[in-house]
Amino acid sequence: MALETAERPKAATDSNRFQWYKVRTGMFAWMLHRLTGVALVVYLILHVWELRALTDPDAFNALITKYHAPIYKIGEFLLLGAVVYHALNGLRIVLIDFLGWSPNQKRLFWTLGAVAVILMVVGGYPIIHTVVTHFFG
Amino acid sequence: MKLNVKIKRYNPEVDDAPHWETYEAPADPLDSALALLLHVKWYEDGTLTFRKSCAHGICGSDAMQINGENKLACSVLVQDLVSGDGDTITFAPLPGSPVIKDLVIDQSRFFEKYRSVKPWMINDGPAPERERLQSPEDFDMIEDSTKCIMCGACTHSCPSTWADPEYLGPAAMLKAYRYNMDTRDDGSDERLEVVDSSEGLWKCYTIFNCVQSCPKDIDITRWLSALKRQAVTSQL
Ligand code: HEM
Ligand code: SF4
Ligand code: FES
Repeated sequence: MALETAERPKAATDSNRFQWYKVRTGMFAWMLHRLTGVALVVYLILHVWELRALTDPDAFNALITKYHAPIYKIGEFLLLGAVVYHALNGLRIVLIDFLGWSPNQKRLFWTLGAVAVILMVVGGYPIIHTVVTHFFG
Repeated sequence: MKLNVKIKRYNPEVDDAPHWETYEAPADPLDSALALLLHVKWYEDGTLTFRKSCAHGICGSDAMQINGENKLACSVLVQDLVSGDGDTITFAPLPGSPVIKDLVIDQSRFFEKYRSVKPWMINDGPAPERERLQSPEDFDMIEDSTKCIMCGACTHSCPSTWADPEYLGPAAMLKAYRYNMDTRDDGSDERLEVVDSSEGLWKCYTIFNCVQSCPKDIDITRWLSALKRQAVTSQL
């Protein structure tokens, strides 16, 4: 008869709960999905907080000017990347769970990843352009 | 060739914490990883402890973490783990269950989860004269999932298990799929009550570590997704 969990010998240790584990496509996709998901929540909170300025035209203009600085442009580009990746990998998860596309999960990841890069280059071009001209133009 | 065999050792009666120990072992590219452990046990240190029985991928007793991934030691070849002489292969216990000694984990929690999904045929209907028939098409639906040997590689490869030891895990829920999709079974509702919970299906984030680790190449995630759909549609 197996030991009940509660009667497990004291000596047994849970020390191997977090052992280094090789990161394959699926785990990589998930880690990035969670990272971007949490980052988007943080961004959304900051964004709404800053929007308080909408009630005061002068403060709003000052903010908009501030956001033209290169650091904010780079942030904008990262935001675009996070949204694009999270949305496309979200689609991947939906296809796996609803349509049973699990056998294609790796190909799906790389295909949608390529789409993400294309969208980031196309959508991010104006942002990159502004930053490059700021520093080198 | 000569290989370094790096093993995570732990003896609760003398050690405060696990530590790594490296041994040298001769190896042939076509040896199994299990052969290396046996060499260490027979010729280097007889106190090394690990589970094994059939040595042919049938009994499921020697699932462990090899080179950072859960595998059956008897079913993985040296040539698939190293590129040449002097390379190192690492062995650690399955992550996510308490260690009893060296590479031996306490499996009681794993099998409690297994029992909790009622892994047997439930059918209170009148018994037919002969066996309950199943068409080849009906069997096709569950064939992949019937290949499970309960080695635990999958459940202990899942980040959801590491984060929450009470998470049912892929092996137990695969069993729920195996019986729920069996056309001779009537117990779907009872099993859904167990798996359609916060410790069940909804902690599966389609990470695919289970599929990657399964020595029987079962597409576990595919069947868990099907079980998710059954759980949702059964409430409509
Ligand atoms: C087109 C838009 C979006 C799609 C298609 C999408 C899709 C998904 C999906 C399918 C999941 C479940 C992941 C899983 O089961 O592993 C998820 C998780 C999540 N999403 Fe989104 N999402 C979108 C937008 C957003 C936005 C705008 C935010 C933040 C404000 C967000 C935050 C999160 C968070 C925090 C999680 C939990 C992460 C986790 O469990 O690993 N998502 N999303
Ligand atoms: S599904 Fe595969 S990895 Fe999981 S217990 Fe069964 S045989 Fe082992
Ligand atoms: S010893 Fe039986 S499965 Fe490896």
